[in-house]
Amino acid sequence: MIIELREFTRVEGNGKAEIVIEDGEVKDVRLKIIEGPRFFELLTLGRHYYDVPDLEARICAICYLSHSVASVLGIERAFGVEVPEEIALIRELGLIGELLESHALHLYLLVAPDVFGYPDAIRMATKHGELVKEGLALKAFGNRIRVMVGGREIHGINVKPGGFGRYPTVEELERVEKESEALLRLARRAVRLFAQLEPYGAQARHFVATDGYLWGEKLVSDEEGEFHYTERIEERSLVYSFAKQSRYKGEAFFVGALPRLLLKSGMLTPTAKRLFEEHREKLKTGYVSYNNLAQAIELVYSLERANEIAKTLLDRGIEGENVPVEPREGEGIGYVEAPRGVLIHHYRIDGEGKISYSNIITPTALNHAMMETSLLEEAGKLYGEADERAMIGRLEETVRAFDPCISCSVHLVKL
Amino acid sequence: MMDKLKLGVFELTDCGGCALNMLFLYEKLFDILEFYEITEFHMATSLSEGNHYDVALVTGTVSTQRDLNLLKEARNHSEYLIALGTCATHGSVQASVERPIREKLKAVYGDEGNPMRALDSKPVVEYVAVDFALPGCPYDKNEVYQVLMDIAKGIEPVRKDYPVCLECKLNEYECVLVKKGLPCLGPITYGGCNAVCVRSGLGCIGCRGPLPGEVNPAGEYEILKDLGYDDEYIVRKFKTFARWEP
Ligand code: SF4
Ligand code: SF4
Repeated sequence: MIIELREFTRVEGNGKAEIVIEDGEVKDVRLKIIEGPRFFELLTLGRHYYDVPDLEARICAICYLSHSVASVLGIERAFGVEVPEEIALIRELGLIGELLESHALHLYLLVAPDVFGYPDAIRMATKHGELVKEGLALKAFGNRIRVMVGGREIHGINVKPGGFGRYPTVEELERVEKESEALLRLARRAVRLFAQLEPYGAQARHFVATDGYLWGEKLVSDEEGEFHYTERIEERSLVYSFAKQSRYKGEAFFVGALPRLLLKSGMLTPTAKRLFEEHREKLKTGYVSYNNLAQAIELVYSLERANEIAKTLLDRGIEGENVPVEPREGEGIGYVEAPRGVLIHHYRIDGEGKISYSNIITPTALNHAMMETSLLEEAGKLYGEADERAMIGRLEETVRAFDPCISCSVHLVKL
Repeated sequence: MMDKLKLGVFELTDCGGCALNMLFLYEKLFDILEFYEITEFHMATSLSEGNHYDVALVTGTVSTQRDLNLLKEARNHSEYLIALGTCATHGSVQASVERPIREKLKAVYGDEGNPMRALDSKPVVEYVAVDFALPGCPYDKNEVYQVLMDIAKGIEPVRKDYPVCLECKLNEYECVLVKKGLPCLGPITYGGCNAVCVRSGLGCIGCRGPLPGEVNPAGEYEILKDLGYDDEYIVRKFKTFARWEP
């Protein structure tokens, strides 16, 4: 017998799952990514590098800046270009805006309705209007940063190899400094709320993240120091999904907010670190549902870090100079922490500046196996115990805890 | 009080941006909800209770059999269907990869092929008649707000028919094509975004699709050639968001 989960709601993109039952037991789970393929690597192949980050942004709307930044980093590494601190800080600020926008969307509009028992945030708003407003305030702030750094709320083209089209102004940075402080109170409240969620899903055994908090030169895992993805992560095609599945040394692994906290708590800002310590025992269990709590703690981190960056930039003043970029033959990998976890853009570029090889791996593709494991374990626990509706509801919540971004996941290629 | 109009949002294969952009309307979304009741919008709600829509917004390209079925369902059950965003109106990025679908699938998923039914990505407008087409990757959210409000009030919304260039002039942005020699598609692209990319000092990449009619793609081509861009570069640039047939 097969129990079909209808298409997931309150997630980004189109996906569903099948639970295979044999002899009264849960035997298998297939997470089907039914969003059509989007062929991004083919799209960028042969293109001039300068145009590529703007196209890659279109992979995903919720985290377009992560894609543009990862793309820019890959291209700069291929050319051996180094950017000064100012540019790096502004990029980081953009990624923080994205984290705020994405986590607030996920926690307040997609997960909170589960916590309070509503089908969506709009209907939840009659009773919990204050909470929904708080979420929207955080999200809107994140988006203002995305406009400032990325050029638009969605699919801006301001992030370029070597710098930006336009740099933030003093007034804009002052506003970021002020607002980030004012919003901190709301983020702390979110931590209290999402700390109440029960454990569900599987307990992850492997965690992977970039070596810096929001981007890095390489990846790190709970087991070993730095490595390139090609050394330990393998991808394969599945017959039932338009997303490929990745494994870390052959096993399912987890990327995202929870892995970031567990692997990089040392890099957190003061309040975020305190909150992490407070909930450490819980988080350490590795239940995927605690990803929600981890995201709430990251809201705090993001606001504090945005404040720090704005202050630093205001103190130093903005020069607004781009670094010259000279194309040359080369290869580079950009690693970024998209809100949902590790994002990889890998390019080879020819002497004329055209892309000759490209590989992109998104967090949802990296988490695909972990999602299946989680569904399998959760279904195993609930099948025969809970009624089918309750079971399906919980399974949807289990998928939602990963904050999957399905559109992102459907275009992997090896050439 | 009169009954609210039933609104459905349907997502085919895309980046999610055109659906997400609806949520970015913030308070304006609540204004829209004075006139509309959302009965289908899977990114935002677990309810799905519609079988008739006064207005259906369809985003994305038809890239699988599922997409096609969903599109037909939306068309058959709606009074007024809007193709929303460049994916739906022109095909956008995924439709611009010009190779037979089998080859593309092989390049991505390897030899095993893929038993799920993938189709060559095409815009919504190639499969069904639409009542309104609103391009943009993503569209400008004030524009969709205006369109929905117009419909609610019984006014037929107006389609913009001027290029991005005009909006640069109105905003008094410096022309990046002439002054900086950047490849800018503003002269041949549908306006309506308020020239937001030129605000960053960058050239328009044509995300709202090619403006038909009076525009002069051949002239644009000559200008880019004079600036030193080669044929292949220009053609690719033209064709990024739509399979433009000059
Ligand atoms: S038109 Fe652009 S923003 Fe809209 S869904 Fe398509 S790719 Fe995304
Ligand atoms: S300026 Fe061009 S690329 Fe930018 S939003 Fe407008 S149409 Fe799209």
